[in-house]
Amino acid sequence: MRAPPGPRGPTAPPQPLLLLCLLAAGRPGSADDGPPASPFTSLSAREEILARYSNLSLESHNLSLTEYSNVAVEKNIILQRPSNVELTCQFTTSGNLNSVNATWRKDDELIENGYLINATGKILYTQYMFTIIDSKQMGNYSCFFHEEKEQRGTFNFKVPELHGKNKPVITYVGDSTVLICKCQECAPLNWTWYHMNGSVQVPLDVQMSDKYVISGPNANETRLKIMHLSEEDQGAYWCHAIFQLGESEDHIDLAVLTYLVPLKPFLAIAAEVVLLVAIILLCEMYTQKKKNRPDDGKEFEQIEQLKSDDSNGIENNVPRYRKNESVGQ
Amino acid sequence: MARGSEPPDGGWGWMVVLSAFFQSALVFGVLRSFSVFFVEFVAVFGEPAARVSWIASIGIAVQQFGSPVGSVLSTKFGPRPVVMAGGVLAALGMLLASFATSLTHLYLSIGLLSGSGWALTFTPTLACLSRYFSRLRSLAMGLALTGVGLSSFAFAPLFQWLLSHYAWRGTLLLVSAISLHLVACGALLRPLSLTEDPAAGGPGAQLASLLHHGPFLRYTVALTLINTGYFIPYVHLVAHLRDLDWDPLPAAFLLSVIAVSDLVGRVVSGWLGDVVPGPVARLLVLWTTLTGVSLALFPVAQAPTALVALAVAYGFTSGALTPVAFSMLPELVGTGRIYCGLGLVQMVESIGGLLGAPLSGYLRDVTGNYTASFVVAGAFLLAGSGVLITLPHFFCVSAPTPKPQDLVTEALDPQGLGED
Repeated sequence: MRAPPGPRGPTAPPQPLLLLCLLAAGRPGSADDGPPASPFTSLSAREEILARYSNLSLESHNLSLTEYSNVAVEKNIILQRPSNVELTCQFTTSGNLNSVNATWRKDDELIENGYLINATGKILYTQYMFTIIDSKQMGNYSCFFHEEKEQRGTFNFKVPELHGKNKPVITYVGDSTVLICKCQECAPLNWTWYHMNGSVQVPLDVQMSDKYVISGPNANETRLKIMHLSEEDQGAYWCHAIFQLGESEDHIDLAVLTYLVPLKPFLAIAAEVVLLVAIILLCEMYTQKKKNRPDDGKEFEQIEQLKSDDSNGIENNVPRYRKNESVGQ
Repeated sequence: MARGSEPPDGGWGWMVVLSAFFQSALVFGVLRSFSVFFVEFVAVFGEPAARVSWIASIGIAVQQFGSPVGSVLSTKFGPRPVVMAGGVLAALGMLLASFATSLTHLYLSIGLLSGSGWALTFTPTLACLSRYFSRLRSLAMGLALTGVGLSSFAFAPLFQWLLSHYAWRGTLLLVSAISLHLVACGALLRPLSLTEDPAAGGPGAQLASLLHHGPFLRYTVALTLINTGYFIPYVHLVAHLRDLDWDPLPAAFLLSVIAVSDLVGRVVSGWLGDVVPGPVARLLVLWTTLTGVSLALFPVAQAPTALVALAVAYGFTSGALTPVAFSMLPELVGTGRIYCGLGLVQMVESIGGLLGAPLSGYLRDVTGNYTASFVVAGAFLLAGSGVLITLPHFFCVSAPTPKPQDLVTEALDPQGLGED
């Protein structure tokens, strides 16, 4: 759920004011307050929010919980740019709404303030608004409703994942290959590649343009072309994408084989074929000798040597159709 | 061992069936499974799909047009050395292909070299097979041709597995080793001398006599017509199913169903061809007509059950017509001229095969769906069976089959030999 990006225009002013009011008011309607922590409305924070507001998009996300939810209710949200975020959790129960406590946590750390709670009919709403500017604000945000049981809804914020290849790429010495890393609908600030030799990370020397060429026709993918492969180029290649809100990486395994690798099975099979041919021809020569035929044992069909004065001569005149019965001539 | 002059109808003949089985597997199974390499070649050479598919097309074209060469050489030297040489050529082509650095390299090594190797193996083997059998000829043909279908099942996953372990270069090297078995198959083709052989004469004389042989020419025309329509479902069925909103997985399953019924059809037809008295041509007409009808009905069927039933029928009948088509030839021209005959037929009917798929594609582009393509394919098949009806002795109902010996002596009379 995203608000449409773009300039806010005339609707802009009310929201930050509302935000400030809410922040200033603290957390309305909860029973178990600790000592009221000052709302994070230090001057610089307010200014920061105002300053950043106009060019950030708004991410709105909802979760619904009931008193009977016994499966973890989660939502994964992929973010790559700083945004304003609005998270809403609603809780439906048949019991008394007043006995329900709502709290928010970021990564198990209790959030003191910045959220509001509202009750309408049988549904309790709680909303938390904040801004994600860098990787420190990424993580898991959870809303908790305490009745008899505790119900939890979690929003997981992550940077886009990279996809390399799950199977190793197999090449031969002297070939070139292209390793591709991509992510869905993303535009990282920067891409880098590393080569893992054993456990040592070796950055690639991109200056060697006759060996490595990094290109990326689209913003959402990067291609590493490696030429004149040798056996030292084997191993895992890691592609690294840097976003404003964090980093993401994945690896591709490269195997460089020499011709000896398939050559061994090839020679084995070829030897087997030679053996087969030898066996077949030897068997034939053996059976020929056994029957003592005056055959020349040559492989070429000698049509002219057909001896029609053979003792079987008479049956030779049977015509060559399907031997169904005896013939007329 | 048949040193005499009768088709043995068994004995060593069954080893020849085995050899033919493996050969059709190694030639056509490899060709059909080549699509596995397709994706790799497109990625590695950066060429468009159309140019990569030329590799298989050149291979098939060389194999078919080169068939007469294989036939002529077999008539002169016997099938064994020719097939063994063909096996070496086919394997050599694949071996050289594993070192390829460009697509042209692959055209020449796989297309030209391996294609020539295949041309020297397939036709002589089938011809040799028909010389070894007369009473059980259709069954032997049917059993041997099942190699094509079974190998497609086996080779595609095998090649895929090899690709994931050895990449395309290593896989081509190993396919070359596998193709070397063609040499072993060739070694099984023991020479057989039959009575008609001296009467048939040398290859040049045989070719000349065949080209003057009316029934043979009509048979060739019929097979060409049949070939034009035969391949169309294989090429266009999946696309037609997609047009009908089928998902890819059930569509692929339907193709497997067709492949299985094709296998069954081949064996049943082979058996039937030997059991039923009378000219085999009648069975060919039966199967061809049924195939044509089932093809023409394809556009009419909309419901899934009807389509599956039609697919089974098409698979069965089209598989059934193949062994009978081959085993009919010796009846027409005699086993003495079988090598040259088969070579000529293969070469001419390949024209039909090459024309069929593009014609069907063109019809689809013009009309917007596959109805016209399927109906035209069915029409070609029916036309082929129509031509077959005109063959001599077609309507003989009496048990003795027509005497191909007469046909042979008819054609050979000009040569002045009065043997019978």
